[in-house]
Amino acid sequence: MSSIFDLLFGWMGKVDPVALVLAFSAIGAGLAMIAGIGPGVGQGYAAGKAAEAVGKNPEGGKSATLVMLLGAAVAETSGIFSLVVAIVMLFANPLVTKQGVGLVIAFSAIGAGLSMIAGIGPGIGQGYAAGKAAQAVGERPKLQSVIVRTMLLGQAVAQTTGIYALIVALLLLFVNIFQ
Amino acid sequence: MENLDFGVQTVIKLFEVNGTVLGITTTHINTWIIMAFLIVIALIVRIKIKNFKEVPESRFQNIVEVIVDIFGNFTASTMGEKNRSFSYFYGPVFLFILFSNLSGLVGLRPPTADIATTLALALTTFFMIHGYGVKAKGLGYFKGFLEPMPLLLPLNIIGELATPISLSFRLFGNILGGTIIMGLYYSMMPLILRIGVPAVFHLYFDVFAGALQTLIFVMLSMTFVSSAMD
Repeated sequence: MSSIFDLLFGWMGKVDPVALVLAFSAIGAGLAMIAGIGPGVGQGYAAGKAAEAVGKNPEGGKSATLVMLLGAAVAETSGIFSLVVAIVMLFANPLVTKQGVGLVIAFSAIGAGLSMIAGIGPGIGQGYAAGKAAQAVGERPKLQSVIVRTMLLGQAVAQTTGIYALIVALLLLFVNIFQ
Repeated sequence: MENLDFGVQTVIKLFEVNGTVLGITTTHINTWIIMAFLIVIALIVRIKIKNFKEVPESRFQNIVEVIVDIFGNFTASTMGEKNRSFSYFYGPVFLFILFSNLSGLVGLRPPTADIATTLALALTTFFMIHGYGVKAKGLGYFKGFLEPMPLLLPLNIIGELATPISLSFRLFGNILGGTIIMGLYYSMMPLILRIGVPAVFHLYFDVFAGALQTLIFVMLSMTFVSSAMD
């Protein structure tokens, strides 16, 4: 058993630490972008609901489209967070200059990427809220401002876990925690 | 690729504590610039307020009244009509956060891209929530922590402590994200792409995200405070 672990992890001690960190940052950056599933599904749902609302009530179509675009833009937030973490790891990697055990720093890159996957949740949830809001506005265009406000408030709360994920990712990247 | 630094830069070193350099940072300086900007506008309005008539005549008075009205109505519709006076606090907070977020447009590092600024604003909210909760309900306010059953007390306390954290990091994360992406764009693109094209990114990351996050921060803060009061 131990020989398998030696095989798996033993070579990491021999590789140049900077190369190790860069290699794992590449995986981390890829992992972070998995969160893109969330906004994709959510925005698709919002777009579908808005199309439905426009089909049912073409007069409220303009405001329904507007609400859908606004809500979808908010649902994009977790995708942007992931993009920021991935871009930081690719172009401005703070781990390269960090002091410490090479293995821990390299795994921090994977951890930061993994934590950003949480963005799937807020993405889908916010997209759902945007879709429902577009539907409601399509039915009652007069209530637009109240509906939009409730939607934004709910979306902001739904973002919370995504923000916690971002905090963990930024901590892993920028702060020396394991010292 | 050189290591880009998006963090807060210390401009003037004042003293050192345990190896950490403390001093005047870009956040301080940019905050002062925004404060000076807002103070100058406030003074101009204060000087001109003497000439204001019962029925507005000048365009300037109209604009000022519209702004005050917008904040009043916004506060009243979020917190209830009896809390309209909160607009005297939230109006300036809104303007400060908005101009902080927009300051990226003129090349400043937004003060809201520093966790210190946003945490200060969120802690203000935190103390307002519980201060006004106690003021409105007396010590019975703390009974609310035992709802729906006393066993959930630790969870309720954690939930209350999470409020300022999520509130501050929501604003911080969004603005920092925009700052990082814009900083990378300017440092990586050839000169020809640095003219004109970034306007689109600025429109999204600074203007749209900045205004939206300002609205969300103020609206959430208002909702938390008013829900603690009733």
